[in-house]
Amino acid sequence: MNLKIHDLHKFYGEGESRVEVLKGVECEVKAGEICVLLGPSGSGKSTLLNIIGGIESADEGCIDIGDDCTSTMGEKELTQYRRNHLGFVFQFYNLVPNLTVKENIEVCAYLSKKPLDIDELLKTLGLYEHKDKLPSQLSGGQQQRCAIGRALVKNPSILLCDEPTGALDYQTSKEILSLIEVVNKKYHNTIIIVTHNNAIKDMAHRVLKLRDGRIVSDYTNDIVVSASELEW
Amino acid sequence: MRNPLNKRIPRIFKKDAGKYIGIFLILVSIIALGSSFMAVMDSVQYTLDNNDRDCLLEDGQFETMLPVTDEAIVLIESNGVDIDENFYISINDFDGDVKLVVFDERDEMNLPSTFEGELPQKDDEIAIDRLFAKNHNIGIGDEVECRNQRFIVTALIALPDYNALFKSNQDLVMDVKGFGVAVVNHAGFERFAEDVHTYRYSYRFVDRELEKSAEREKIEYIQQTLVKNGSVIQSYLTKETNQCINLLREDMGKDGPVMQVFIYLLIMVVAFVFAILTANTIESEATIIGTLRSMGYTKAEVIWHYLSPTIIVALLSSVIGNTLGYTAMIEPFKNMYYGSYSIAPLQLRFNMKAFVMTTIFPVVIMILINLFMLWRKLSLSPLKFLRKDLSKKRQKHAVKLPDISFMARFRLRVLIQNKINYIILFVGIFISSFLLMFGIGLNPLVDHYVDEIDDSLTYEYQYILKAPVPAEGGEKLQTYSLKTWYAFGKTDMDVSFMGVSDDTEFFDGLKLPDNTDEIVISKPLADKLGAKAGDILEFKDDYYEKTYTLKVVDVYDYKGSLTAFMKLENLNELLGYEKGNFNSYLSNEKLDIDEHLIAKYITRADMIGSIKQLMESFRGVIFILNIFSVAIYMILMHILTKTVIEKNALSISFMKVFGYENNEISRLYLRATTITVLASLVVCIPIEVWCFKYTMVYVSSMVEGYMPFYLPGWVYAAIILIGIAAYFAINAFHIKKVKSIPMSEALKNRE
Repeated sequence: MNLKIHDLHKFYGEGESRVEVLKGVECEVKAGEICVLLGPSGSGKSTLLNIIGGIESADEGCIDIGDDCTSTMGEKELTQYRRNHLGFVFQFYNLVPNLTVKENIEVCAYLSKKPLDIDELLKTLGLYEHKDKLPSQLSGGQQQRCAIGRALVKNPSILLCDEPTGALDYQTSKEILSLIEVVNKKYHNTIIIVTHNNAIKDMAHRVLKLRDGRIVSDYTNDIVVSASELEW
Repeated sequence: MRNPLNKRIPRIFKKDAGKYIGIFLILVSIIALGSSFMAVMDSVQYTLDNNDRDCLLEDGQFETMLPVTDEAIVLIESNGVDIDENFYISINDFDGDVKLVVFDERDEMNLPSTFEGELPQKDDEIAIDRLFAKNHNIGIGDEVECRNQRFIVTALIALPDYNALFKSNQDLVMDVKGFGVAVVNHAGFERFAEDVHTYRYSYRFVDRELEKSAEREKIEYIQQTLVKNGSVIQSYLTKETNQCINLLREDMGKDGPVMQVFIYLLIMVVAFVFAILTANTIESEATIIGTLRSMGYTKAEVIWHYLSPTIIVALLSSVIGNTLGYTAMIEPFKNMYYGSYSIAPLQLRFNMKAFVMTTIFPVVIMILINLFMLWRKLSLSPLKFLRKDLSKKRQKHAVKLPDISFMARFRLRVLIQNKINYIILFVGIFISSFLLMFGIGLNPLVDHYVDEIDDSLTYEYQYILKAPVPAEGGEKLQTYSLKTWYAFGKTDMDVSFMGVSDDTEFFDGLKLPDNTDEIVISKPLADKLGAKAGDILEFKDDYYEKTYTLKVVDVYDYKGSLTAFMKLENLNELLGYEKGNFNSYLSNEKLDIDEHLIAKYITRADMIGSIKQLMESFRGVIFILNIFSVAIYMILMHILTKTVIEKNALSISFMKVFGYENNEISRLYLRATTITVLASLVVCIPIEVWCFKYTMVYVSSMVEGYMPFYLPGWVYAAIILIGIAAYFAINAFHIKKVKSIPMSEALKNRE
């Protein structure tokens, strides 16, 4: 599913303290692409991700997802939009602490009419033998795998990953990025990764660089490097 | 420098204002309820004790057919007993068919206490019992007619020997509407010279420190002296056996511990609720605590900081609760006593014991429980707090759940996660529902009891005679009161023996045993004693110091009183009377008997009306009870269920991000609470019924008589419906709360 962003503006605060965090962002991500959104803190990348995710609304501009435009959606439609099209992966996993690994994945499977087979997904994620454990019994990498499984189980057209390796060590980060790569190849989802890590851009089909609320660089990689070969 | 953490305390209150206000309200209600109840109970006790001493309450009384001879009085008084004439006339037709007993002026014993006005100085003045006057709208300056003589009411009084207005010592309940007492001066009493007097004498032991055995010896001496000097004793009561004097004292002694247990139970629930809130605060502030501890704050300083809100709420509640308890709440509890009993003016006093029990103790319980919880929680290392790893166990395992639907399993997980909350919620629901059951159920219970008595009474009048005189249309009956041991109440209780004619018209289906050592007992007696056919019961005659061992051969469905039935001639033989003796008539019509020969007569209306009257005095307290129960329901539900939502606020936020709709989230997080509340309401009913039955048995142990347990189906339905209504009112707030949890919570970077 193609994602088009048209002249997106977002303001925070009022009066003299009013700050424009997105200043006319314009870009397009094609279906099945891995898009890496790079930028320093305060550049507006998380705000952009939230608006794409239908969690925040833009003050001006719109986002077209397939034939739909998010700016005309009400709360109910946005909920349905998230439910039908999006998957989220957070930096700190945000698993429901009192649910097991399998149950955490079921949380999103419940929302889909045609969820992926959970056991098969658990095997793909390397979590099958941990499926009855609570999140607190898992390592950080395993928790992030679970979070990715939770996001994937409803086979979303767009997977939004907010600093997915930000809390992980080097080796585990590479494992998670490899998993995202595998997922992209297997399920053909559009994947948007927000990150500080400059090295991750090499595994993306498209790279967007954001600074001070504007896109300062938008290009496609001619050669996509495998996640396992990334170095930083 | 003052501890800067203290600046946070007002902010903590502001942040969780709803919860703290809820707890504060519950605590204030409990303390106000407890302190007013205890203060009134203690003050009444104090008033009674003072009144007994100041008004020279009698140690006993007897009534004789004719005045006792001077010789007998001299003999008795020489044995260390003061005797005072306490003669009266009975007016059975005062204000219709109300009975008013008018006493001669009292000089030496049982002196009246005045609420309003002056005691009679002239022969046309009368002082009337306050409660009786209130129930008959009589005030100072009103004119009343007694035996065609007019008197002006000059005072409203209480007599120490008539705290409880029993028409007769055998009566089941007081009759504050149908019976009253009054006093006139000697000249006024002279105006009744032509009327029949009852010769009652009151006595007091000169030595106020007598041992029980010495008292018994003196009582025996009094009785023997009277008999030897030709007096016919019609009744003899000691202070302890006189219900008019003793009922209130016994009643009060037993109410206190029940109320105390009840208050402590509620305080414990509140303390645990507080502990849960504090535990949640610690979980949500784990990183702050970790930071404070790693920067050098001691464990005690952090504990003190988190304990402060508990201490402030507890202390503030105790101050306001006690203030309310000693002011606004006094009246309903005072009415509970003063609406039923005729007691001297209340001397309200601050009671240290009550203060300790209702204030110091609850505050200490609250602080200790919270201190224990904080001490336990804060024993973890600062690093654990910084990592938000607050579990003591190294690894927590998931409880294995059956293969049921995802939704059902999710709710089970919420239940398991919040089990402590739900257990306390269950206890809270139980206590509230039980109070509600009491509040709602008492009226139908008493109504049913009244109906049962009404249905089982087959006669309209019972005449108790001074002598066996013939009367047309009446059925002869011998009645006599014996005592039997009531193990549960750890006391002797009166059983009314009825010697019934073989061809009785009034006890249909009663199969009277042929033997003199066999009895049939009434159902209330069987229920109260737990006795059945074949059991052997022992009865005592305190007057004549005889013991009778009798076998129960049948239980007869007669609800009128605690009765043992025998054939008329068998009872006479048992008591050593002549074969044809009798002392009562039963009849459906008024009998033509000389009034002078009637000791008393009881009508159906007497029995029914007096029980209904009993409920009147409880109305104010029942109202408070019902309001209190619903308030506890709502506050506890609000606090505990809100905690469940707040604990899961982040997860709820994730759910929204994932695409869950608000109603689906409510189904996930609120349905578990709904199921718990509904299940608790239903599960609590049988436990409450059991407790109610036990309470009824307990109440029955304190009074003469037996009120069987009865609750109509609508009471259960009402309790459940009120519970559901209270819950759904609270739930509406929670649904709003779920809607208001922002999605951006989920996207904040957190560690």
